Amino acid sequence: MHSKVKEQFQVSPPMVFFLIHAMQVGVGMLGFQRIVAKYSGYDSWIAVLIAGVLISILISMMYFVLKTNHNDIIEIHRNLFGKWAGGVLSLIIILYFYALGILVIRTYIEVIQVWVFEDMPTWILALLAGYFFYYVIEGGFRTVTGLCVAGVFIPSILFFVLLMPLQYADFLNFLPVWKHSVKNILLGARETTLTYLGFELLLLFYPFIKDGQRSQKWAQLGHWASVFVYTLLMFVTLSFFSEGQLDMTIWPTLTLLKVIEFPFIERFEYLGISLWLIIVIPNIAMAFWGASRGVKRLFSIKQRYVIIVMMIVMVFILPPLDNRQAVNTLNDIISQIGFWVIVAYITFIYIVQFIVQKIGRKRSS
Amino acid sequence: MNFFKRKKSFQAASPKSKNLSEWLSALSDGNEDFMEEIIETPYGNIKICYYTTLIDHQRLNVDFLQPLKTTPWRTYKDIQRNIYVDDTAVTNDIPTTNERLLQGFAACQLPDRKEEVLLINAPADVQREVSIPETEFSVIGPQEAFVEKLETNIFLIRKRLPIEDLRIRKLKIGTLSSTETAVFYIDGIADQENVNTIIQRLKEVNFDDVLGANALAQMIQDHSYTVFPQFVNTERPDRVAASLAEGKVVFMSNGSPQAIIGPSTLVELFSSLEDYYLPWHIASFVRMLRLFSVGFSILATPVYVAVLTYHYEMIPKDLLSTLIASRSNIPFPPLIEALFLEFTIELLREAGARLPTKVGQTIGIVGGIVIGQASVEAGLTSNILLIVVALAALASFTTPVYQMGNTVRIIRFPFIVMSAMFGAIGIALMLAFVIAHLIRLESLGRPYLAPFYPLRFTDWKDTFVRLPYNMFQQRPQQMRPKSKARKKASKTQKNKDIDE
Repeated sequence: MHSKVKEQFQVSPPMVFFLIHAMQVGVGMLGFQRIVAKYSGYDSWIAVLIAGVLISILISMMYFVLKTNHNDIIEIHRNLFGKWAGGVLSLIIILYFYALGILVIRTYIEVIQVWVFEDMPTWILALLAGYFFYYVIEGGFRTVTGLCVAGVFIPSILFFVLLMPLQYADFLNFLPVWKHSVKNILLGARETTLTYLGFELLLLFYPFIKDGQRSQKWAQLGHWASVFVYTLLMFVTLSFFSEGQLDMTIWPTLTLLKVIEFPFIERFEYLGISLWLIIVIPNIAMAFWGASRGVKRLFSIKQRYVIIVMMIVMVFILPPLDNRQAVNTLNDIISQIGFWVIVAYITFIYIVQFIVQKIGRKRSS
Repeated sequence: MNFFKRKKSFQAASPKSKNLSEWLSALSDGNEDFMEEIIETPYGNIKICYYTTLIDHQRLNVDFLQPLKTTPWRTYKDIQRNIYVDDTAVTNDIPTTNERLLQGFAACQLPDRKEEVLLINAPADVQREVSIPETEFSVIGPQEAFVEKLETNIFLIRKRLPIEDLRIRKLKIGTLSSTETAVFYIDGIADQENVNTIIQRLKEVNFDDVLGANALAQMIQDHSYTVFPQFVNTERPDRVAASLAEGKVVFMSNGSPQAIIGPSTLVELFSSLEDYYLPWHIASFVRMLRLFSVGFSILATPVYVAVLTYHYEMIPKDLLSTLIASRSNIPFPPLIEALFLEFTIELLREAGARLPTKVGQTIGIVGGIVIGQASVEAGLTSNILLIVVALAALASFTTPVYQMGNTVRIIRFPFIVMSAMFGAIGIALMLAFVIAHLIRLESLGRPYLAPFYPLRFTDWKDTFVRLPYNMFQQRPQQMRPKSKARKKASKTQKNKDIDE
């Protein structure tokens, strides 16, 4: 079952920059600082950079696997592990993507409920989101990519605004550099890896890139843009908060936005949260697109039906997850799965592919 | 299963009798303006028939009947040689005769040649003068606009592009109206795929009375359920010429003074031709002002509603006291207040558009000053909202393409409703929805949001800003023009050091 994506549905290689970057920057950015700082304290920015290098290696591993197969992960699974074992693995990946979408949307709804509308019922937002994402994904991969581009450009003003709290910065916080143990910094790096998650969708959208092989530099560039943004944000956060205060702040980024004052607008975080929607939407759309595309490739069901079912299920799943505890638990679970699925699994599949190729070469020679 | 059978569509030309002269005499039965008369001349009698209402009688007399009476003739050929009319034809075909008669031809028949007629072109010409553009007025630049007559419009375009590569394809559309429609493109620049698409879609239009180019544009557009216009519509020949030179395809219909340009992008709908006549800094400033004002026009009232309904903490405390003072007597929530004022403004605009110009001005004064002031004094609206709504209305008038102005006008309402329901989040959601919608839209199969998506940085020279002409080396990629270069790069300008 080899299906090639028609050229009219493909996107050009530079779009990979936006796809990767938009997927990595999401709700995670609102509150990753606290979790990383729990382990690495004022050295967290080093942890962010180390995780960046790690992910960069993972991306090139992914490209190695994808380039040799010229297809998406579903087909690669089938080639490497056979129909059944490969199918099960694919199904796990699909479920992971779907859960990722649900997690992001639920976290964002939680932010809305905590910061803007305390009594906004979840189901209304879920319903709106369900229709919206159906509309987006029905437009195909190009529409999803378009949202990624919009999700990078439009909220970029927020990035500059986030530099404004630097006027209260205390740069002495960073000294002495590297006062934590290597172990703690690596644990911090592990936590940061989770905020970088999302790039693994490349495993599914790779066939949608024109000249996929040549797109790696764009993927790396997109990833390093994310590393830059995260490091800078971590830097601003660490210079602004004390360690103890940071430990008690769930969403440090929003607290940073709260500090900002303009003569014509106060409580900037309202604007920030609203604009964050534009950042979060590509995340969710990509995750659901990936999940539905995976189902289509695995079971040969029409993607339109898959996405309708997925959206309906989402509308029913979201409302019961209605407190901080539940959201936190979900977050932890998906993060752990994500860490293992992505970091360990990509390495695993890389090694398998490497061995298979070596054997194949020996046989042919 | 007769129930599901399609009804037979009306056939315009259905000659019942096979004989030409019988058919001609039968025509005068139902058509009281159809004339049949015998002209007596020194060289013999001749029968002539025509629709009196479609014929220029003076022309018929001077150019046809006079020479007929003074010069000897025997056959159709002699007549054709003698008379002063160029466009003549001898035919025995009933549908052709029918069509020509309806176009303002006269048919004349010699008594001994019953099976053939000679068709003479003498159409009555009711025509408006070429006048100044009304909806797309520009301060500098040419002051001529299209008229209803297609020939005149073709003349206006041909005059601006005197090259043989300007191709004109004519089609007849509409089973009843058989509207003459011309498709223009420049061979060697325009992408043939676009030309084929537009001609194909025009041919597939199967409607009885085609009202004109604007109606046709709606029938052939890619998405019919969107509020965004997918074609630029213009009354300016210079805009048509400029678009053709960029590789676009244009079509016009007889009877409507508007040309439809495609494929179009969102940005083009916000660009006016004056942007190209003014120096580039000023043009860029004006264009950015226009884009900003569109954003303002759409978002101002929703933001007011959102902030005053949910996020009053966002207002700085100095401004808050003014706002409270102006709203303290108002009994309505911000949504009702805003909808009331928006509705009033729309009403004024519609009334102003329907009424004759002079009365329209009075309405504007009555509406703007009296209603606005009175509703503030009566405590129905706050004067801050009045300013916001009036500015938003003013801003929406800056859109140079009329259809786009309507879109801006209408799209504000879902934003207001969403902002009243979900505050700032609602506005952001609506914004995301509009963006997703725009990403999905296409004009003649070409992305509507280009050059922003798909990203084509080389085309950005003519988007938010209009860069100087020396940056316009290439035609926009969006059209996939066959020849890309617009001008030859001059080598003398490059790499010159100081004082060389």
